[in-house]
Amino acid sequence: MLITQLKKKEDILPFLKAKTLLVACFGCKEVYFPEKEYKNIKEELKTLYPGLSGEIILDYLCNEDYTGKRLELYRQELEKAETIVVFACGVGVQTLAGLLASKTVLAGCDTYYLPGFSGFTPSSYDCEQCGECRLSSTAGICPVTACSKGLLNGPCGGAKNGKCEVSKIKECGWENIMNKITTTGKVAGKLKESVSIRDYKKSQ
Amino acid sequence: MPKLDFTKYKLKSKEELADILALKKRIFVLSCNKCFNELTSDLEPETAELNILLNETGKTATGSRALDFLCNKFLTEKTLSGLKEEVAGADAVAVIACGVGVQTIAGILNVPVLPMADSVFQGGYHGISLNAEKCGACGECYLTLTGGICPVVDCSKGLINGPCGGAKNGKCEVSKDKDCAWENIYNRLKGQNREKVFILQEPKLRNYNKNSAEFMDSYVKTIQAKRNEGFYGGLYPEEKKELTEKLPITKITAPEIVSIPLQQHAGAVCEALVKKGDKVKAGQRIGESKAAISAFVHSSVSGEVLAVEPKKHPLLPEPVLTVVIKNDKRDEVSFAANSKGSLELSAKEDILKAIKEAGIVGMGGAQFPTHIKLNSNKPIDTILLNGCECEPLLNADYRLMVEKPEQIILGLKLLMKAAGVNKGIIAVEDNKPEALRILKAKVEGDLTVEVVPVKTKYPEGAERMLIKRVLNREVPRGGLPLEVGVIVNNIGTALAVYQAVYTGEPLISRVVTVAGEGVEKPGNYEIKTGMLLSEIVNICGINIPSNYELKMGGAIMGFVQTDFEVPVIKGTNGIVVVRKKDDLTAEPCIKCGRCVNVCPMELKPHKLVFYAQAENWEKVENEGVFNCIECGCCEDICSSKSHMVEIFKKSKKLIRERKK
Amino acid sequence: MKFTELTKNGKFIITSELGPPKGFHIEKALHEAEVVWPYVNAINVTDNQSSVMRLGGLAMCKALLEKNIEPVFQVTCRDRNRLALQSDILSAALFGIDNLLLLTGDHTTLGDHKDAKPVFDLDSVSLTHMVKQLEAGKDLAGNILDGEPPKFCKGAVVSPCAEPLDPQLFKMEKKIKAGIEFFQTQAVYEVDKFDKFMKRVKEFGVPVYVGIVILKGPGMAKFMNENVAGINVPQELIEELKKDKEKTKSGQTGIEIAARLIKDLKPLCQGVHLMPLGWDDKVPQILKLSGITVDK
Repeated sequence: MLITQLKKKEDILPFLKAKTLLVACFGCKEVYFPEKEYKNIKEELKTLYPGLSGEIILDYLCNEDYTGKRLELYRQELEKAETIVVFACGVGVQTLAGLLASKTVLAGCDTYYLPGFSGFTPSSYDCEQCGECRLSSTAGICPVTACSKGLLNGPCGGAKNGKCEVSKIKECGWENIMNKITTTGKVAGKLKESVSIRDYKKSQ
Repeated sequence: MPKLDFTKYKLKSKEELADILALKKRIFVLSCNKCFNELTSDLEPETAELNILLNETGKTATGSRALDFLCNKFLTEKTLSGLKEEVAGADAVAVIACGVGVQTIAGILNVPVLPMADSVFQGGYHGISLNAEKCGACGECYLTLTGGICPVVDCSKGLINGPCGGAKNGKCEVSKDKDCAWENIYNRLKGQNREKVFILQEPKLRNYNKNSAEFMDSYVKTIQAKRNEGFYGGLYPEEKKELTEKLPITKITAPEIVSIPLQQHAGAVCEALVKKGDKVKAGQRIGESKAAISAFVHSSVSGEVLAVEPKKHPLLPEPVLTVVIKNDKRDEVSFAANSKGSLELSAKEDILKAIKEAGIVGMGGAQFPTHIKLNSNKPIDTILLNGCECEPLLNADYRLMVEKPEQIILGLKLLMKAAGVNKGIIAVEDNKPEALRILKAKVEGDLTVEVVPVKTKYPEGAERMLIKRVLNREVPRGGLPLEVGVIVNNIGTALAVYQAVYTGEPLISRVVTVAGEGVEKPGNYEIKTGMLLSEIVNICGINIPSNYELKMGGAIMGFVQTDFEVPVIKGTNGIVVVRKKDDLTAEPCIKCGRCVNVCPMELKPHKLVFYAQAENWEKVENEGVFNCIECGCCEDICSSKSHMVEIFKKSKKLIRERKK
Repeated sequence: MKFTELTKNGKFIITSELGPPKGFHIEKALHEAEVVWPYVNAINVTDNQSSVMRLGGLAMCKALLEKNIEPVFQVTCRDRNRLALQSDILSAALFGIDNLLLLTGDHTTLGDHKDAKPVFDLDSVSLTHMVKQLEAGKDLAGNILDGEPPKFCKGAVVSPCAEPLDPQLFKMEKKIKAGIEFFQTQAVYEVDKFDKFMKRVKEFGVPVYVGIVILKGPGMAKFMNENVAGINVPQELIEELKKDKEKTKSGQTGIEIAARLIKDLKPLCQGVHLMPLGWDDKVPQILKLSGITVDK
């Protein structure tokens, strides 16, 4: 799941050239798209840059079929513009840039990763798709994502009061694993015996 | 374009599975219907495979269940609570899902939860459609500089300052099948004469601390919290309330001719009480029915009946018997205030009678006869007045709350008296602070009526959502609010009740918001029922731009009107001009899960569509099509542009007909 | 000389710690090492300690060896992937480094390059496993090394006063199984807790060198209590530091506390590891006061 944060107008303005069109993708806004912030920046750009030629609001830019068809529907607006600023996640920007190879396509947002990668429900659980699921030996808590260092062989010792050294708001994944193993009465035998090393080939 | 398969997991090898399951005997199997590939089957091939393995290794499968989207903790938790006993008998729960699914289950169940699959790395694939573009979610988008080709994902080293020199014949050193991203970037930039811009950039350094724990907490978790606020699912459509929210209610003069359909309510159509040539007065009953569910219909003007004939109806597909009346402009009325017409002097029965006589129906769109709603045989303790008006553009209820708060509160109290309850609540979305302020001031010190703000979210105004949010009571699926002791009424309805009791005036006019693109004189207008849309279009100067359409009702749930010779009826709360959806053909479902995420009734709309297309009506019904409130959230969010509401409406009709 | 051999000979091990400079002028660091060296068996050289960028530990170890000072080469997993780690370990063997301390390392966000990519390709356990592989004449991918394999004494760290302790013990056991031969500990201020810890780890049969950090003042103690994992400075020690401000400022209180702790802890363990954090010149005094002398 991807979410976006608007770039600062100072990071967008220097790249604007000639007639510029804004394209915003509201497809995933039920999860999160900074809609209000987008409207604010649109107004600001309007006053700061005289060459804005218009705005198109679409959804699911990432769907190449639909985006292709829509480029036909909005051909007039698009033809007028030389530069297009896309307010969408990285997938959306790339899709549009791929379809409009002759136009200067700019990114209006930075894209962040929302845990629960499936693109569905934002979740506090996360999966890095390591390709060698270890959850059976870690009480269903993922050491790759729940530990900020992704340690596979136990805690690093950096936790204090159950919180990770990187932040007091982050729980120590390994303490949670150990606690759960104790409460569900599972033997940590295997976890103790083996040395786990990640096979990064599986996630390339 | 061929669709890619972004399935998130594959079954582990037999040996690994045997190892993981070594000490367990009794296994309960949960599997997830793979997301992000085309929905072609509701079966889980991996479940069969695993069952064979369990058999071979002498394990007992105590049960199994295939669920959609295990990662949806809210829905998964609900389903699992129904499986408690089955799960309790097992040594372990084996889960065939990606890591998120397994962790979700492990977080819910207090038994060993074992993953049966490995997640498949999708290398930055996070799109909603199955195309090949990927995003590394680095938090500092470089696409502006790189011609829209991502160096973080597409370059195997994730280089951001140019190519490494390892490419040969345009292919990456890692694989001959992989394009050198930087050669593609260079070519694209050169084609646009932009390579200099790139060269002049300062060297870039990645900031790997962008997704810090603090950021995730403040940005991401708050989003998640907001998402689940109040009720599950729903949407935040663009409100556009500002177009008419400041415009006071004004009357539109009664037209020369009114067309009053004898069906402006849920239930049986009325029989005409007048015939061509009859003289009628404003407020005179012109239609009634003996059926259990129906509501009287009245003339909205005084004059002469020109015709009683079937005419086009704004909501119904078939023409409906309609009384056409020529306005004599004498404004003769048939009703008068009753000396007992007040909250204090009217008995419960008097109020019910007045409501029935006035032909009052739910004015939010559903048009269910109010006197029937109030006559419940179930114990009722609360009347909830729905002041949400969660549809974009509409302000009719808002203006009533601001301009006629006393009448609305009296209307509510009359409804309370009629239903024999002591508690009344007016729920108003928090995007209407002015209405909240005014109503709150008016009920101050009144212990029987409460004004409650609710968070703005669509479809907050749907009864089920509102009851959950305001009273934290869950209306059983397929059930009515009555079953949890609540009757929900519309703001306009309350005003109509007030008028019926205090002035004797039947429901013959209502407030309608007219707004949207191309509306010269937007506003909140009091309009006589039976006035034709074509006249309103003229008066308000509506010029519908191309790619726009006119709807009666709300912007989302309203009905598109192409023939304007249809009248305003009791349930018409808006006449709005909204952008047409782009004409795109529906594509096969790719199980992106959006519809499940937004369905406030907690249905699986994609499954309903799947079964409806397969004409498996039994499954359509089992999946709960009759619980669908047709709010349109799923259709609005559908990444494959499926016309879901239409499919569900047709399915319901078909299933009902088959049952007859 | 390897600690394992020293311990076998019944010797109580004393080590101290040295942080390389931020720059390449090592004269001052060398001088500090030379001051401490007569009193200790070896000096640990930290590896970008606290994720703050400094001169490389390997080069610093080499410089110590040239002065005939025994180094302990600390290796963390934060900054290098498995290739770099293996080649650095082989380089250490070339220089004649005997003792390694293998750690996971602090997270990058704690240091002075917060935006850096945290590597953590391996962790302390897999790093130990990797060194053991090298000692068996193979690299981590199973390729055969040229010539005679290297041989080290491999150490790791543990936090004896951490709460909860079980995850620590779990990891400690795992480290031993992977090949760890000695442990240096996080700073200890609670003798009872350490005693309990030692009783629980006795069965492992691996020497433990207790960690001592000199308390520079009450502020430092409070800071560590709030922020540093596995450290809890008891209130009475904080009071002691507060009592005589001048004495504390001169370092005398800290020296006395450290010496007292060493005296109390010595019977419980096999060595002591001093982390002076810049107060290297106080090390001789502490050791003298505690009544232990180095046996090389």
